[in-house]
Amino acid sequence: MDKVEFCQKLAEILDIEEVKLEDVLNEFEQWDSLAVLSALAMADAKYGVTIRADEIRSVVTAGDLANLVEEKQKQLALKP
Amino acid sequence: MKTIFKNRKISSIVTVVPKEEFRFDDEYPAFKLTEGKAKRFKKMMSLDRHRIAPPDVCSSDLCLFGLQQLLDEGVLKKEEIGALVFVSQTPDYFMPPTSNVIHGRLGLGQDVICFDINQGCTGFLLGLVQSFLLLEISALPKVVLLCGDTCSKQMDRCNRVSYPLTGDAGSATVVERCEIENPIYAAMKNDGSRHKAIYVPAGAYRTPATPETLEVREAEEGVPQSLQHIHMDGPAIFNFTMEDVPPQVEEILSFSGDTRDSIDCFLFHQPNPFILTQMAGKMRIPQAKLPNNIVSIFGNCSCATIPLNIAFNFAEQLQQGSRRVCFSGFGVGLTWITMVLDLGPLAVCSVVDY
Repeated sequence: MDKVEFCQKLAEILDIEEVKLEDVLNEFEQWDSLAVLSALAMADAKYGVTIRADEIRSVVTAGDLANLVEEKQKQLALKP
Repeated sequence: MKTIFKNRKISSIVTVVPKEEFRFDDEYPAFKLTEGKAKRFKKMMSLDRHRIAPPDVCSSDLCLFGLQQLLDEGVLKKEEIGALVFVSQTPDYFMPPTSNVIHGRLGLGQDVICFDINQGCTGFLLGLVQSFLLLEISALPKVVLLCGDTCSKQMDRCNRVSYPLTGDAGSATVVERCEIENPIYAAMKNDGSRHKAIYVPAGAYRTPATPETLEVREAEEGVPQSLQHIHMDGPAIFNFTMEDVPPQVEEILSFSGDTRDSIDCFLFHQPNPFILTQMAGKMRIPQAKLPNNIVSIFGNCSCATIPLNIAFNFAEQLQQGSRRVCFSGFGVGLTWITMVLDLGPLAVCSVVDY
C-alpha cells in the first residue's frame, strides 16, 4: 500500500493541505462524523476493505488507520 | 426468505409533500457550522433543500390527501377498497391504529380491514408484501397502501447530522389483483440483533417519557438530541448498506433471471446521495439507472422515499408504459427487502403539494 497516497486521500477528506502518518486524527477539527463516514467509504471503494464502526473509533493516528486498511487487505488476500 | 407473488400489480401512486420548503443555505447557521464546514457537508451529501410539514400536519394527513386525490381522479372507488394498510413511524396516536383513524375520516364501510405497520426505510416494500397477502383474503379487488412519515418531528431542528437530510412526505398506492401472472420477485431479511443502530430510545413503554427523556443535550457540538429523538449509529449503518444490501440485490437478480442490463431502473430507498453513490459503485450499477436525487430536493422521507422516487423521476414513463424495476429498501430493524417486477402502466403517478 502506498502510504503517501493514503495520506493524500485523508487530506482530501479533511480538506486540508497535508496529513502525516503520525498525526492524531482526533486533533483535527475536521475529523467529525462526516469525515469518519468518508474514510469508511474510501477504505471500501479504493481499497476494497470494510472497516467497522468500533475499529475506526479505536484508531489514533493516520498511520494506525493506514495499517488497519493494509492489515485487512492482507487478510482478504489470504482468504481462499 | 425469498418468494414470488403472482397476479398482483401496482396500479396508481400519488406522493404528497408539504409545500413548505427550506434551503440548506438559509438553515446552516442554526447548525453551528462554520461556512467552510457547511460547504464541505453540502458538497458531500449534495444538500440543497427539503420539505418539512408544519407542526399540526401528521403523516396521516399527507397520506389521506393522496388517497383523496386517487378517489377524485376516479381511478379508485371507495367500494373497491378491501383493506387499508398504513405504514409509518409517526402515527397520530399510540392507540388506536392510524389506519382506523383514516378509515373513519374517509367514511369507509365496516368490511374494510385496517392494518398499521411500524416501519421506516423498508416500509413501502413491507407494506407491499402485506398488501399482496391481503388481496388473497379480501373479497374486494383493491388494497390501498399508505406510506408516510413526518420524521422532522423526531429530531431537533438544530441537529446538523439528521435534520438537513430529513424530509416529510406521504403516499397512497393502489395494489390490486390482475389477470396476467405478472410475477413479483421478493427477498426479505431482518437482523433484530442490530435494532439499536437506528432507534428512538425513549417515549414508549421500555423507557417511558419523563421530563428527563425530553431534555435536549449536545453530545457533540451541533448535534442536539433528546432520548425521544431518532438516534443513529452512522458508521454501523454505512457498514450495513455496503455489506448486507448488495448481496441481496445480486440474489434477487439471479432469482428473477435478470441482469443489470435487463433492469431499466433501480429504485432504492433514499438515505442520502453519498451512500447511494457508494452502493451503485460497489454493485457496478450505472449511476444513471439508480436515481439518488430525492434527498437533495425533498429530504429522506423514510417509508415514502420509494414512492416519491417513482413519482418524481418516472411519472411520465410509467403512465405511458411498463418498466422492469428493482426496488430496494434498507434500514430500521434492521430490515432489508429487495423486489424485481414489471411496474406500469400506472393510471395515476404524480407528486402533489399539501
